Amino acid sequence: MSRNRSVNRWVALAFGLVLLAVGCAGDGEGGTGAETASPGPEAAETPAETPDETPAETPAAQDSGPVTFFSTQLAPVEESEKVRNTILAGFPGEVDFVGADNYGAWVDRITAEAEAGEGTIDLLGGLHGDFVSLGTERLTDVSDLMSELSDRGFSEDYVELANLGTDTPYYIPWMQATYIVVANKQALEHLPDGADVEALTYEQYAEWAANIFDATGQAKVGFPAGEDGLLPRFFQGYLLPAFTGGVVTTFGESDAAWEWMRGIWEHTHPQSVGFGFMQDPLLSEEVWVAWDHVARLKNALEQRPDDFVAVPAPAGPEGRAFMPVVAGLAIPATAPSPQGAQDLIAYMAELETQATTLREVGFFPVVEGDLPEDLSAGIQLEADAVRMQTEAEDALPSLLPIGLGDAGGDFNKIFADTFTRIILNGEEIGPVLERQAEALQALMEETGASCWQPDPPSDGPCQVG
Amino acid sequence: MSGESSARMRTILLHAGAVAMALWILVPIYFITAAAFSTQEAVFGYPKPLVPQISTGTLEFFLGASGVLPSFRRSVVVAFVTLGLAVAIGTPAGYALARFRFRGSDTFRLLIVSTRAFPIVILSIPLAVTFIRFGIDDSSFGLALMHTALALPFTVLVTSSVFAGISEELEEAAMTLGCNRLTAFRKVVLPLALPGLAAAAIFTWIISWNEVFAASILTLRNRTLPAQVLAALTQSPLPFQFAGGFVLLAPALVVIFVIRKYLFSLWGRVSR
Repeated sequence: MSRNRSVNRWVALAFGLVLLAVGCAGDGEGGTGAETASPGPEAAETPAETPDETPAETPAAQDSGPVTFFSTQLAPVEESEKVRNTILAGFPGEVDFVGADNYGAWVDRITAEAEAGEGTIDLLGGLHGDFVSLGTERLTDVSDLMSELSDRGFSEDYVELANLGTDTPYYIPWMQATYIVVANKQALEHLPDGADVEALTYEQYAEWAANIFDATGQAKVGFPAGEDGLLPRFFQGYLLPAFTGGVVTTFGESDAAWEWMRGIWEHTHPQSVGFGFMQDPLLSEEVWVAWDHVARLKNALEQRPDDFVAVPAPAGPEGRAFMPVVAGLAIPATAPSPQGAQDLIAYMAELETQATTLREVGFFPVVEGDLPEDLSAGIQLEADAVRMQTEAEDALPSLLPIGLGDAGGDFNKIFADTFTRIILNGEEIGPVLERQAEALQALMEETGASCWQPDPPSDGPCQVG
Repeated sequence: MSGESSARMRTILLHAGAVAMALWILVPIYFITAAAFSTQEAVFGYPKPLVPQISTGTLEFFLGASGVLPSFRRSVVVAFVTLGLAVAIGTPAGYALARFRFRGSDTFRLLIVSTRAFPIVILSIPLAVTFIRFGIDDSSFGLALMHTALALPFTVLVTSSVFAGISEELEEAAMTLGCNRLTAFRKVVLPLALPGLAAAAIFTWIISWNEVFAASILTLRNRTLPAQVLAALTQSPLPFQFAGGFVLLAPALVVIFVIRKYLFSLWGRVSR
């Protein structure tokens, strides 16, 4: 009897739930239709802010609906909100800014649209390396736009990079960044005698790490050696050129650089192999001194500008090597509204938009003009460090690889593997370098890439030294 | 005397085990919740106070960010459409597997399970291409179709074991008393099976709610909550990751809490 009653109760409850489910599903489907019909709330917000502003100026952007802007850069929630609400606020058309959490998601979507022969995305934002791996056949030739914008004063190197190894440009430079060092002020008292924190050498940097370790008993220097970290760029753009003056041509002579790395690793935070973005361990004070990409240090500087200093990367025997990185804007071959995308690119390349970009998200302008002066304390620290690094007497710019095509990932892997074998596995430096030099040479032959700065120019494939 | 003390010992061990298991689940949930309701500075602070200073700043920023609330709504819609489709298609299939012996029924069963053997990662680009060509990409309905395909093996196998647990004699008895197969199903089998079916349906709902991979590749501007969280938070600072984690966790907890009785009934049947 009681079993019967309990069964009845089950049945009643279940019926209730199913009814609820059916009812809601009905509502839901109605909602779906409404959502697909209108472009969504993000787009709805944008025109509300700029209702009557110059609709006549760019009729194309107005006519063709919202421009869908898909970007690997500025995807984190705070940055993308700033893009939508501030940076894009002055653009007369509607823009749907969509962030991709990683390169894989970005490239998969673009590939799918290319293969289907029709797409939703009008504008792509990505690092130079993202476009290199994507390849030119999925992108539109933007030479007309590039010559239209030639008065903006893009650096020649960046225009050359935008060709992606061909004769015509496939993206327009958007913004640039680099890597610097950020230190907690508590670490400053442990600096080696006579060291200037704004002009450190690699030797002093290693000594600093050792001093902190001796004084606190903790390894408080950190590197972004995790899966999401950018450590290979440290070897390509900083350590190796600073010690040897080159990257590819001097790879075989980089023993001293790797010896240095092995030395500092003893006083490096053991969690480094898990670190992706150094701002988090800096804020939690697990780490006091860290090298990373400015965008990955920005939150620490923004949140506690009084507790941190931002300084140039150290210098080696050959100079203060540093790597400028550039992000670009490209139009996919399947863009439904290429004119809207072109208008948006032109808007993004205006000096005022570029200044807003620096103020809001800490990426630097690629066009000619003075930096804005009303920067927040954190961004100002970052800007000063970048300026010191670029204008240092011993500055040694070390460019992103040019001409590797879609083998940019393999290039990074060679450096990551060298690090793993020498530092993490403790293998002997000489034999490892010999093996990795062979791999590097094979990559150069395969891609036919000639040497790029700081290696001296070469006829034919760059020769590994 | 010794029997009594060993019984007590067993009780203590049992309770200790239960407490340990509960803590295993609750401590991370507590930390996520506490961090989600802390100020950004407090998230990095150490040592942490047991009762944090409550601040909803990060959570409000995350919920107020463009696309988060619509994606929340979309997730609910997709999950309910998936539930409806999966139950409508899966229940008849489950009934057939439980009641009828037909040629190839074992192969059919294997085939259903094998759809889950394909890693969806390798299917991602062809899937997206197909969806774009059919014009159903970036829509809640299209995604619900995909989620239905992912949930069906589960629905079919569970409903078939639910039906298998209901005695066939009852159905035959109903048929001798004037029912045909359809009315016997409606009047006798269905009421008995409903709790199990409801549990299977709600589990389908949760499968869809949690699914992120297909959602990421098949939507662009109309993302579901997990896809939105992944896109917006993978590279975001820790405080926002905690806020996003809490927003994902809370509804699932509420659903599980509401349906826990049905889940137990489902497990009871399956293990029979």
